[in-house]
Amino acid sequence: METSAPVAAPFAAETIGLTKRYPLTWKRKVLVALDHLDLQIHPGEVFGLLGPNGSGKSTTLKLLLGLIVPTAGEARIFGLPTDSLEARRRVGFLPENPYFYGFLNGDETLRFYGKLCGVTGPKLEQRIEELIELVGLQNGRERPLRSYSKGMLQRIGLAQALIHDPDLLFLDEPTAGVDPLGSAQIRDLIIRLKKMGKTVIFSSHLLEQVQEVADRVAIFSLGKKVLEGSLESLLIERQSTQINVPADLSEEQQQRLREALGQAGIDSQDIRFTRPHLSLEQLYLRTVQAQGDPGPRNSPRT
Amino acid sequence: MISSLNRIIVIGRNTLTEAVRQKVLNVLLIFSLVLVGSSVTVSQLATPGLDSAGLFDAQIKFVKDFGCGAIGLFGFFIALLSTAQLIPQELHNRTIYTILAKPVRRSEFLLGKFFGIVLLVALCVALMSLAFAAALYWQELQGLQATEAIYSQNPNWHTDPVLANAYNHDVQQIILQTRDPQLIEAILLIFAKLIMTTAIALLISTFATSSIFTIITTFMIYLIGHLESTAREFWLAGGANASIWQSGLVGFISLLIPDMNSFTIVDEILAGNKVPWSHALNLMGYADVYIVVLLAVSIVIFNYREI
Amino acid sequence: MESSASPMSTGLPLSLRLRRATLVALLLGLWAPCKIVWEQHINREQDYLRYRGAPMTRQLRDQLGQGLTIGVLSGMRSVVADLIWLNVSTAWMNQEWFRMGGYINLCMALQPRAPIFPDMGGWELAWNASISSLYDPAQPNVLRRIKASRFWVDRGLEIYLRGIENNPTYYRLWLDTALLYQQRLHDYRTAAYYYQKASELPGALAYLERAPAEMYGPHFLNDPESEYAEWKKLWFRLTPAQKAEKQHSAGQLEWEIRRLEQKLSIPKEKRVFPN
Repeated sequence: METSAPVAAPFAAETIGLTKRYPLTWKRKVLVALDHLDLQIHPGEVFGLLGPNGSGKSTTLKLLLGLIVPTAGEARIFGLPTDSLEARRRVGFLPENPYFYGFLNGDETLRFYGKLCGVTGPKLEQRIEELIELVGLQNGRERPLRSYSKGMLQRIGLAQALIHDPDLLFLDEPTAGVDPLGSAQIRDLIIRLKKMGKTVIFSSHLLEQVQEVADRVAIFSLGKKVLEGSLESLLIERQSTQINVPADLSEEQQQRLREALGQAGIDSQDIRFTRPHLSLEQLYLRTVQAQGDPGPRNSPRT
Repeated sequence: MISSLNRIIVIGRNTLTEAVRQKVLNVLLIFSLVLVGSSVTVSQLATPGLDSAGLFDAQIKFVKDFGCGAIGLFGFFIALLSTAQLIPQELHNRTIYTILAKPVRRSEFLLGKFFGIVLLVALCVALMSLAFAAALYWQELQGLQATEAIYSQNPNWHTDPVLANAYNHDVQQIILQTRDPQLIEAILLIFAKLIMTTAIALLISTFATSSIFTIITTFMIYLIGHLESTAREFWLAGGANASIWQSGLVGFISLLIPDMNSFTIVDEILAGNKVPWSHALNLMGYADVYIVVLLAVSIVIFNYREI
Repeated sequence: MESSASPMSTGLPLSLRLRRATLVALLLGLWAPCKIVWEQHINREQDYLRYRGAPMTRQLRDQLGQGLTIGVLSGMRSVVADLIWLNVSTAWMNQEWFRMGGYINLCMALQPRAPIFPDMGGWELAWNASISSLYDPAQPNVLRRIKASRFWVDRGLEIYLRGIENNPTYYRLWLDTALLYQQRLHDYRTAAYYYQKASELPGALAYLERAPAEMYGPHFLNDPESEYAEWKKLWFRLTPAQKAEKQHSAGQLEWEIRRLEQKLSIPKEKRVFPN
């Protein structure tokens, strides 16, 4: 096993030709879950994995976490092999569903996972306090996890992912099933983590949210990575320009603008005037916060 | 090394906590305690109309046999049922993902689970042994009271040396049987057999697809294990008349299935015969090494299991 | 996430599958011969200490029936034997002597080293069954009744002797045999032999030391000197124990020995009390 050399590693996570095939014995066919994936994720960036169900996102996560063994190719975390303990010491994982023990309460859960990560004693207790504070689970910490609501489970999940202060975080559908205020908080947390220098890799179906936080994304389909790049470069419509005018233009004013642009060589037929839209989320947040609603409460699941 | 051990212990204690908080286990345990305790009543019902000479011997034998039989039987079910659903439950609930995403080796995870079940079985056996000791003590009291009742019918039973001698002798016989220190040996051997069952169940569960399969297979191995000594002797003797298939089957059994029948030496201890500790330790050593081999194979299989 | 594939799924590269198979084969292959050697050693020790019950044969399985066979195969031999023993008292109450004998034999086959089975079983046959046949109202012929009675005594004796063979240090079986020889078979010499054996074993009552002598006493007065020499040896050995007994004082004992020595004209140098 290599000795870890974090200083020299250029990538937080890297895959080279990573492939995973499952033979379906009864049908004599092979399911290609992931086909020759080449991916590089830089330290300190927020990376989004997008794609339909069954496209290979989860397989990629599992391979990078060392949970399954690749059929071919390689995967590395900070230059370390994925099945090594050093690699997993620097990684935190938030699963999409509550893959936790229902019979433990919040404190016990964090204590259990903390000890597994090698955090012990008073340092562990301090960490638990900090994280409970951070995710806002003060009310629920004494109750068993099987009585938690979905939102609470996401929060305890985040807490256990951060218990050992990892450098790289994998978040699988972090805001699925969480109400907008809660998911806004999670989004803020991701931004805060990025500011702390951590790398975040997350997969999500909520495209708007990915758009808000991610630096770069990759889009998967049928086991292949189809598209990759920074949001900036991917989303820009290179063939048009937006101008924001902070006034409600009348028909006549619009016509005058068309003419002006026509003189610059732009066909006035292609010019469209529209009103900018708020996102629904912005409206919702604005409305709810104006009412003084502090956010999701830790009510037990009924 | 130390950190590895710590992780195993953490997972082990978690497994124990999970098992203890399960209702099914509590019901089984209480049932077993009741059964062990009631073995005294059974013994009295089962020995009607006997003369005093053999009466207490028979009753004490009943209590010992049923008590230890209950410990063995319930211990077997607790060990088997807990172990069989260990891995399938982790896989089904996907809790294994969260754990293995931490810096934990698969082998540590498996050993931790095993260790948790060992603690569970030890706890249950200890509790049942206490119930057993209580039942024995109650039986002893019954026997002593009845003996005194019989002898005190003769008014000078204290003074007549013949009668006194006989009374002391009878009392001694009862106490020798109920306070036999060898019973500890018996319980330890029962425990060793239970842990061996646990290890077998764990091995099967590393490649089984359902816990039912694990339960049935382990149970079959357990039963065949009691015939293994016969099979082995047959195989080693050559068996000139045996067909290839018979030799193959018998050879397979001898090479891979443990000899469970050697643990029936517990019956000898219960019958009051002396079994030297050297032999018991020999047997326990065999069980320990076997368990280590089974665990090693389990680790190898589980290391490469798709989850 | 996707559902998990089959556990031994060959999504693994071939090298890993080979490695896994080789390791498993190696571990089991190295252990198998050690296992056999060790098991043989354990069984030899157990044979030496005469522990094991009858092996599970087809005949045994038929006698036990399916449920009890599983019980035996689960390692609960003693419980199965106890359960079968429960039938003995039922059979006795129904006076089904042959069935009772069958159950007793079965229990002894399952657990030969549980002395209680031959102890109580032999008694059931040699006493209960025997006496009951002697007074059997269904059999008018007195000779047949005596013969039947004697038959059961013999069966009981067999049980005792088999019990002794498997449990040589259990004094009660020797004592039971001695009582049987004395009281039913009237063979005092053999009875004396068994009494003596019983008295030497741990747990025997003190009075058993005296019993062989008592066998010889009333029954061998007119026998040749060799018998008397045995008797004398036994009487001599009794002297310290006699102090606890009221029946024979030291004085009376001396008088008895002197009388016998006189009667049998033993030469002076061989006498216990030469003066």
